[in-house]
Formats: sequence, structure tokens, C-alpha cells
Amino acid sequence: MKLPPVEYEAPTTVAEAIDLLAEYLDEASVLAGGQSLIPLLALRLARPVVLIDINGIDELSGVSAVDGWVAIGATTREYVAEASETVAGAVPLLAAALPLIGHEAIRSRGTVGGSLAHADPAAELPAVARALDAEFVVRSPSGERVVPAADWFEGYLTTSRRSDELLVEVRFPAARPGTGVSFQEVARRHGDFAIVGLAASLTLSEGAISDARLALAGLSDVPLRAAAAEDLLVGELPSAELFDEAARRATEDADPPADLHGSSDYRKKVAAALVRRGLREAVHNANERQ
Amino acid sequence: MVDITLRVNGATCTGSLEARKTLADFLRDDLNLTGTHLGCEHGVCGACTVIVDGRAVRSCLMLAVQAAGREVTTIEGLAPDGGLGPLQQAMWDSHSFQCGFCTPGMVMQATAFLSDHPDAGEQQIREALSGNICRCTGYQSIVDGVLLAAERKQGSDHDGNRG
Amino acid sequence: MTAIAAERYTGASIKRSEDPRILTGAGRYVDDIKLPGMLHAAFVRSPMAHARVLSVDVSAARALPGVVAALTGADLEAMTVPGPDLLMTLMGWAGPTPEFTLLATDKVRFVGDPVAVIVAQSRYIAEDGCDLVEVDYDDLPPVVTAALALDPGSPPLFANLGDNIASPHSRSEFGDVSGTFAHADRIIDFHIDVHRHQNVPMEGRGCVASYDADLGVMTVHAATQSVHVTRIGVATRLGMEPDKVRVLAGDIGGSFGLKIGASREELAVSAASRLLGQPVKWVEDRSENLTASGQAREESFDVRAAVSNDGDLLGLDAKMVIDTGSYPGMGTMVPAIMQAMLPGPYKLAALGFESTAAITNKAPYVAYRGPWASETFVRERVLDLIAKDLGLDPLDIRLRNVAPRTDPPAVMITGRPLAGVTSRESLERVAQLVDFPAFRRRQAEARAQGRYLGIGVATFIEAAPGPRSPEGPSGPMGLESMRLRLEEDGIVALFTGQMPHGQSHQTTLAQIAADEFGVPFEQVRVVIGDSDIVPFGLTGGSRSATMTGGVALHGARQLKAKVLDFAASVMEVSAQDLLITDGNVWVRGDPATAISVSEIAGRAASGQFGVDADAKLEVEATFDGGEGGWSGGTHCAIVEVDVETGIVKVERYVAVEDCGALINPAVVEGQIRGGIAQGIGAVLLERSAYGEDGSFQSATFMDYLMPTACDVPRIEIEHLETVPLDADVNFRGVGEGGMIIAPPTVVNAIEDALSPFGVRIYEQHLPPGRILELISTGID
Repeated sequence: MKLPPVEYEAPTTVAEAIDLLAEYLDEASVLAGGQSLIPLLALRLARPVVLIDINGIDELSGVSAVDGWVAIGATTREYVAEASETVAGAVPLLAAALPLIGHEAIRSRGTVGGSLAHADPAAELPAVARALDAEFVVRSPSGERVVPAADWFEGYLTTSRRSDELLVEVRFPAARPGTGVSFQEVARRHGDFAIVGLAASLTLSEGAISDARLALAGLSDVPLRAAAAEDLLVGELPSAELFDEAARRATEDADPPADLHGSSDYRKKVAAALVRRGLREAVHNANERQ
Repeated sequence: MVDITLRVNGATCTGSLEARKTLADFLRDDLNLTGTHLGCEHGVCGACTVIVDGRAVRSCLMLAVQAAGREVTTIEGLAPDGGLGPLQQAMWDSHSFQCGFCTPGMVMQATAFLSDHPDAGEQQIREALSGNICRCTGYQSIVDGVLLAAERKQGSDHDGNRG
Repeated sequence: MTAIAAERYTGASIKRSEDPRILTGAGRYVDDIKLPGMLHAAFVRSPMAHARVLSVDVSAARALPGVVAALTGADLEAMTVPGPDLLMTLMGWAGPTPEFTLLATDKVRFVGDPVAVIVAQSRYIAEDGCDLVEVDYDDLPPVVTAALALDPGSPPLFANLGDNIASPHSRSEFGDVSGTFAHADRIIDFHIDVHRHQNVPMEGRGCVASYDADLGVMTVHAATQSVHVTRIGVATRLGMEPDKVRVLAGDIGGSFGLKIGASREELAVSAASRLLGQPVKWVEDRSENLTASGQAREESFDVRAAVSNDGDLLGLDAKMVIDTGSYPGMGTMVPAIMQAMLPGPYKLAALGFESTAAITNKAPYVAYRGPWASETFVRERVLDLIAKDLGLDPLDIRLRNVAPRTDPPAVMITGRPLAGVTSRESLERVAQLVDFPAFRRRQAEARAQGRYLGIGVATFIEAAPGPRSPEGPSGPMGLESMRLRLEEDGIVALFTGQMPHGQSHQTTLAQIAADEFGVPFEQVRVVIGDSDIVPFGLTGGSRSATMTGGVALHGARQLKAKVLDFAASVMEVSAQDLLITDGNVWVRGDPATAISVSEIAGRAASGQFGVDADAKLEVEATFDGGEGGWSGGTHCAIVEVDVETGIVKVERYVAVEDCGALINPAVVEGQIRGGIAQGIGAVLLERSAYGEDGSFQSATFMDYLMPTACDVPRIEIEHLETVPLDADVNFRGVGEGGMIIAPPTVVNAIEDALSPFGVRIYEQHLPPGRILELISTGID
């Protein structure tokens, strides 16, 4: 299971990287952590002409808080984000999801940007980004673009990144006071991809839900934002009946894929259970935070 | 071909290789450090685990060129001169292994984990090792080895502090 | 019973001599071997399940820089001797054998079937070469299920067989089947399926074949369970004299039945080495291992049980279909073992058994740890299902039905005496270790809170090696050989054909010999892995504890007698007055006379002895198993099922087992736990999955899921006081038992957890989706 022949470039600046992308376009694969890309190469399922290794571009790594947002450089290692107090304090949903990504050795190399650019709909970070309306900053020879999460995930392993664009940063909004989060997932084993996952964030104001964000992993070819369920929840007091109805609305129109790990029907059933559990936990955490 | 220089088990090494060669293959083929094993070559089984710049890493998911300038430790480098370090000794004492194929990856992963979590309990150890697959043991003896190593270290730290 | 001399090592968890190298990365596995001029092979494999091969064009591959050879199936046919599957030949298969070639020539018969081999300077380049090979396939309808294979209209995979049935349908009866069924209070029918899963050792198959043209000798560095069986396989297929083939094996990364003989790929690589006159290495990668190395356990059973209203299991009548995949071998031999073992330790009065082996377009059926295990799954499921129908407790129905231990022992309806079987005791001990009434109370409380816990038990025996047969030992495995020699430096060397791949023989055999001979453990060396110097042997079938432990014991005794005779002549005393303890020979009662064993050995080697002394301090020992015996026990699992997600957690697992006298308790327990882990994996995680078109769907570890440290709980093991049957050798095998008994134990527990939903389980693979389906259909 050896990698096929491939050229290799290791730019040290974003400008260099973008020039290379402009030159190679779809024939290039950007190599960050490699935890998703290298297996594809080893299985000879991907055969890019060139690997553009961006690990040497120092400016792409780092976590900073800016104006109510947390900006995470694309090559920030998952374990660094996991240990970041800024992330823990300001983006608790991201902090909840990060430890569920694979195993520690994967997070030693895997990057926040890489996972989001790979866009596996069963992965944890795409669901978090979608739930929180994260913003994706891409740069190309023609300049910089900011893509909201709703527009970033286009299809299975497909984003709206153009072939001459490099994802340089992802921005997550800081959680408001009164917010509680929950990341739930059902996986076959500890550390596996979710069969179904839920990223949930609720903000309580005087006991009622003032903001609700739910995104489901594994139910579609992109992370699925449960807008109908969110609309139901906003303005209401938390209750078991409310959460049951939210679970129903979140999943009734879903048409999940079927594979070895679960049928379409199974995924829908489990997603509903996760919504119920996630909402309960988010409320509990919101109360804890107050 | 790309030229690289890196440190492996405390020694400076160089190589001239194709960019597509994984760190695992570089260690095994170019440096003759065959202790690091290939169990799946797609990053799931953990048999290829080594330590790079202090972190456990799957060497089948790293290109050798990405290790340029880095500090790599393999199973051969854990203890001086073919002896046994404390974790290895504890695992010997605990009958941790059978066929031995998963062993280097397990030992490296456990080494990295224990250095960050010296007080870990059984459940944490199991979770930490859940990315390393063993087909022979059912894991209990491996977990016992790690627990024993942790216990001995705490004991000796305690003794050290009593001085 | 003669106690083993000194009793110091045997029975103790002596630390393994294998470990210092294993723990430091100094083990030597096949892929670690590097020889001068060594080349690397990779295989082009069929993406089709069933197709005619119209043409294979390797010209582009051949032209790739770094590629040294590109060989097709036709090329290899010209270089080798055609013949049947080696295992079938060795096991005395008498039926028609399918004709096939090392690499596919005119047909491919499963996804992964090797079609061409590329030999190059590196594995990287060999795989690049594979990408350049063009194969023209003509699709044939895939025969993907046994049902399709049994349809006479299905296109035969093998022209010389004419249909897709690997062995003629056969039926046997034991006892009065029709009478038992006619008079039973109830007849209950079941259909039970066991799913396809596989060995998955952490090291795949592989070898380095090295042909020396000057000497005409083929040396194969192999990963194998027997260097001699591999040698015979290579010699036969390459048309070489067997003594011109040498097989070497070092450390082996697990096998579980997979690495026996020589696979088609290894034979092709050996032929390539002979052609090129250079060493050629092939080690399969994980995709190849999952797709092409072979799979097991896909069996289905229609079972009728004749039952009394009080819960006596009077008779069983089973019709089995085994899916042997393509290139049948082991799969044709398994039904006979299942038939023999189906009664288990129970008082069954009648058994009818018939089997059909179907050939399908899937990977070949191979031996996987306890290949006959489905008989225990079927029987232990049936007992639980009968218990439920009759309102009986699962422990009680087993206690009711186990054969009592009598003298002479009860005999299984299929012929073997249940000598020394402690099934009753194991059931009783489980009931002591697990407080069933307390569990039932906890279960009821949990149910009231919407949590579903369940408990399951299952009982088994395995022939490890089985009781002494009145006809005496038979076949190449009936007698175990060992050469024992006192080396010049005082080391007691044991030369054995055993080929451990995790069994710790280099430790356990040394324990026995050290005790018997009288030297420290460190003074014994177990020599393995060279067909030029070890006698015939094979590690498998859970026999080595008895057979090899026994030959080590008796052989050490024989060697000791020889050494004492020699020492007596040197020391000028009578041999009867001499002892060997702690590595010293001395006259009983006079420690001042002590001479080290090393010194005696040195004298024998140096010629410092009189003309009457026999200084050849070596014996060739054989052992037929003595009284032999059974291993077995009862396992119990407590599980929790999350009925919203279908996820099952094994909360507690208790194994009460009897494997006779333990050589090394840590080794025994390791074997049991590893087998149990595989059983848990089979039920909850592992399936070798094919699509309707024969496409293979679990070719990576992302789809073939292996149990991890979070899936296998602490396993409590209790060893029963055994019933000694033999004067000296009461070690019994334990290698396969865990894997045989864990699946029914866990499935029984899951069914118990889901009984409020009316669930009945007739299958072995229960992933989360299936659990939810069972719950929803159970309620209906």
C-alpha cells in the first residue's frame, strides 16, 4: 500500500503556496496533517500530480481571540487547539468536539484547517463549524475571501474552495453568556468516525432558549443544519416534550446514506436520540455556566 | 529526490529519498530500524507509532520529508544499549505481549501517554491505547503493564521526595 | 502420578524469554529480512468477482525502470507443477479437487484473485508496475451466496467440477434419530447463521524466497505455522526435491490458522526467485490481507431439536451449508469436525448431521482459530432458545443436560469419551462467581429505569488434543517429535517443529524441560524455525501443550537418563545414585561430588571418557499424547445494550476453564483473553462484507473493525482443579477455546438483555443497526 509517484513542494510562505496552487490547480493536493490525505494516497485512491506541503508556513498556525471571534490558523494542530485555553473558554463546542477526533496520535498531526477542508460529513469539526456559522478565510492570487460555513460545505468531501485558493484560517464566534453546548456521537468504537453526531449549542436567557444551533454529522453528504428544530426551540422553555419534537423535526426530512455501519433508517433513529440527549446536556451545561 | 537531515534516537541521520516515502518506510528501509512495524499503512492500527518532537505519531501517515529537522524516537531508542526502560520492564513483568507485532507501537504510544499523564487510571489508559490494535492479548495484560509502570514511577517519585 | 522433578518452573508464570527482543524492536519478522540483491513483489489483483481473463498485457509494467520481471498466470504455469491444494492433500481429502493455477490464467474467481506479479527494486516501484498492467476481463455472473452456488444453474467456478458444490452432500446419523424425534415431547426448528469474518493477524502473510542457482537450493524465509509443511508445499509446487528446500522462520506476528503451508502468492514468489536467481520478498499489505488471504465462518444451519417438556435435549438434527468461497480447501474439512463436536459435553442421545459445501466468488475459506466453532454457537444458542420456550434458567438447562462424570466416562454420541470433562463443575463455579439472583434484581431495577442489562452463559469442550483414541495415533499429527541434546556448553537444546506465533513456546517448553532435567530455566534453549534441523511439527489445533509439552517432558527424562549414564562413567559411580538439580550432577547425599552439567557436556564433547561411555548426549523422542484429554469450561458475560443506539458494552466477563495442568498461567490466560477478544469482535464489530455483485466492502480497517482496548473488558479467569488422566502429562491446549465460546456467551447475554422486547437471536453478528432492527421486529 505504497504511495504513488508524486511531486512535492514545501512552500514557506502563503504567497508561495498560492502561486503553486495557481500553477497546478486541480492537479495539486494540499498536504497539512496528512491524516486523511495520506491514507487516500496509500490506497491509490487519490493521485495528485503534486503535494503542496503547507506545514512549513509558520503564519498559518496559531489561535487568537479577535473581536468576539476565535481565529484558528489552518495548520493549527488539533492537539494544540484541544489544549488551548482560548478555545476552551470562548468556543466550548469546539473544545467538546476536539477530543473525539480519532486518537491522540491522529491529533498530533491532524490540523483544524485540514479537517475542515477535507469536509468529511461524518467528521466532528464540520458539524461544529456548521452549527456555529464559522467563517472560512481563503486566499488566492486575486485576494482574500471569507466564506460562511453555510456556503463552505458543498458536497461529499467537496468544499467551495476554488483550486487556486488556500484555506488560511477558520474563525469561530465566541459563545455568548448563558450558552451551554453538547457534542454527542455514536461511533462503533472509541475514536472512530461518528456514524451519526450532533453539535449542539443552546443559549438560555431567563430560563428560556434564546439561541439554538444544531448540526448533524453523518446524516447527509454535508453537515446538516437542523434549522426547523432550531426554529421550534427558540423562545421556548426547555422540556422533554419540546426536545422530542425538536428531535423529530431535526431528522424527519433527512435521507441519510446507508453503509456497512448503519442503514439509512438506523441513522435517522439514532440522530433523533442524539438530539434529545444533546439538548438535555446543553441545557444542563448552560445552567452550569451561569 | 529530496535530501533530509533529522535526528533519530539521538543520532543525526541523513537520507536522500523520494518525497512519497513514508517516515515508517524510511526508518525501516533506509535506517534499518525495523522495530517500527507496518500493520495497515492507513493510520488505523498504530503499529507504526513513533515519537516525533515529543508526540506520538503514526509514522505511516507522515512523509519522511516531513520529519526533516525533527527529533524522532523509535522503539530501538527507548532504552540504552538494548536494555529495558521502566515501561518495557513493567510490560515484561506483566506478560503484556504474545506475538509482539503490535508491541513497538503500543510501547511508544504508552510512553508518550504516560509522560503526559503519569497518574492515569485504567479507563484513561484504555482510551489512550484504543488506537493501537492487538490481535493476541485482549489488552488486559498490556493495560496491566502500563499501570504497573505508572505505579512504580509514582512509588519511586514518592521515595525520591522523601529524601 | 509422578510429579515433575523440582516443580520449580512448571505452573509458574515465568517471564518470557521472547520478551527482551519483542519489547526492544529486535524481533525479526519476515518484512525485517533484507538479503543482498533482494527484489520486491507486488500482485495485480482482480477487481471482478467472476470473469474470464481474455488477455493480460504486462509490457508497460516490464518497461518501467526498476521493474525486473512481470509474470502472468501462464508464465507461472510454465514454471511450476500443477496440483491440488496442499492442505487438502495433507489432510487426506479423497474427493474431487478443483483445478486451479497459482495466478489466474483463464478466469478470476473472487475480487483480489491474483492475476500477475511484478518484481521490482522496491515495493513502491512494484506497485507502480502493477498500475501499468492491463487486463481484459469478460464479466461472468457472480455466484455470491451459497444459495446461488447450490442452484444447479449457477455458472460453475471450476470447469472440472461441473457445479459449485465442493464436496458431495453427505449425511450421517448417530443413535436412533427417527425414534428419538418421534417420541420427543416437542420438536423445535431453528435456522441459525454465522457470518463471514476472518483471522486478521497484525502481521500479514509473506515470505522472502531465495533461490541459490549454484546449489539448486530454495531457501524460504516464511511466516508460517510449520516450516515443514511450507517446505513440502514449496517443493511440491516447484517440482523440487523436498530436501532442496529449506524454510526458515523467525518471529511471526500472529496467524490464528491463516499461515499454514504456502499460499498461491508465496509459491509464485518462490518461482520468481528461481527464475531470477535473486531473493524476492512479498509481504501482503492490509488490503490484500483483508481481501485475499482468506475468510472463515460463513455457515448456516437448519437445526431441529428433540426436547422433553422438562428441558432434556434428546436429539439434534442439523443441516449445514458452508460457504467455502473460491479455491476450496479447509472449508471442505470443517463439517466433519463440527459433526463430531456438536453434541458437546451433553447427554445427547441422537444426532443427525448433513452438510453441503458451496463454492462462491468470494475469498477462499481458511482455518480460523477453532474452525469448527459454529457447532458450539449453534448448540449453545439452541439451549438458550429451548430454555426460553420452556421457561427454564440457562444455567439449569445446562446442568440438566451435561453428561455426568462417570467411570468409565460417558461417550459422545459421535464416539469420543468425555474423559475428565468438568463441564458440570465449571457451570457450578460460574454460579458461585456470578451472583445470578443479585444480577436478576439489578436487571429488573435497571429495566424500570429504561436500561437493558443481560447475562449469558455458554459451555464448551475442545479436543485439546482430545482423549486417547483406541486405534492409536494417526496421521502426521498423531505423534509429536522432538530432538533433545545436551550441547557442549551445557545448554539443553530442544529442537521442535513447533512454530510459535504468540504461544510462548520458547518459554513454556523450557520450563518443562528445565524442571524435568534439573537445570535452571536459562540453561534450556528451544530451537525452532529451521526445516533443516527441526523435526516435523505444526503449531495449531490447540495440541502443543499436550503433545509438545509431553514430548519435552518425556524427552528431557530420556536425555537425563543418558546424561546420567555418561556422568556415571565419568564419575565412576552408579547412575542410580546420581541427581541433577540446579544444573549440577551429584551423588545423592554427597553435595561435595557436584559437577556442573556444563562440565559433563564439555567432557562428552572433548573425548575425555572411557570406551564404554556413550557420549552422544542426544535423544530423539516421540510422544503420542498419552491419555490426552479435553479442555473446556463455561463462560459468562454481562452486557448492557443501549436500545436507542444499539451499542453494546460488555460490562463483565467471567471464564471458568479447565485446561488440565497449567504450564505457565500467564500464557494460558493470555491465550484465553485473546480468543475472547476475537469472539467479542466477531459479534459486535467484525464482518467480511460482500456486495451483491461480489465486490468486497471491508478492505481496510475503517470497514473491517477490530476490537480495541475499549471494547474488551477485564476478563476474570478461574482455573478448575483438573482431573488428571495421565501419569505425567496433563497439560491440555487452550489456544482456541476463548474464540469458540465467547460468541455464544455474548449473544446469549444480548438476547437476555433484549428479552423484554421479545427478541430471539438466530445469528452471530449484531452491529448496532441490527440490534435496533431486532428490537423493532421483536416488539411486533
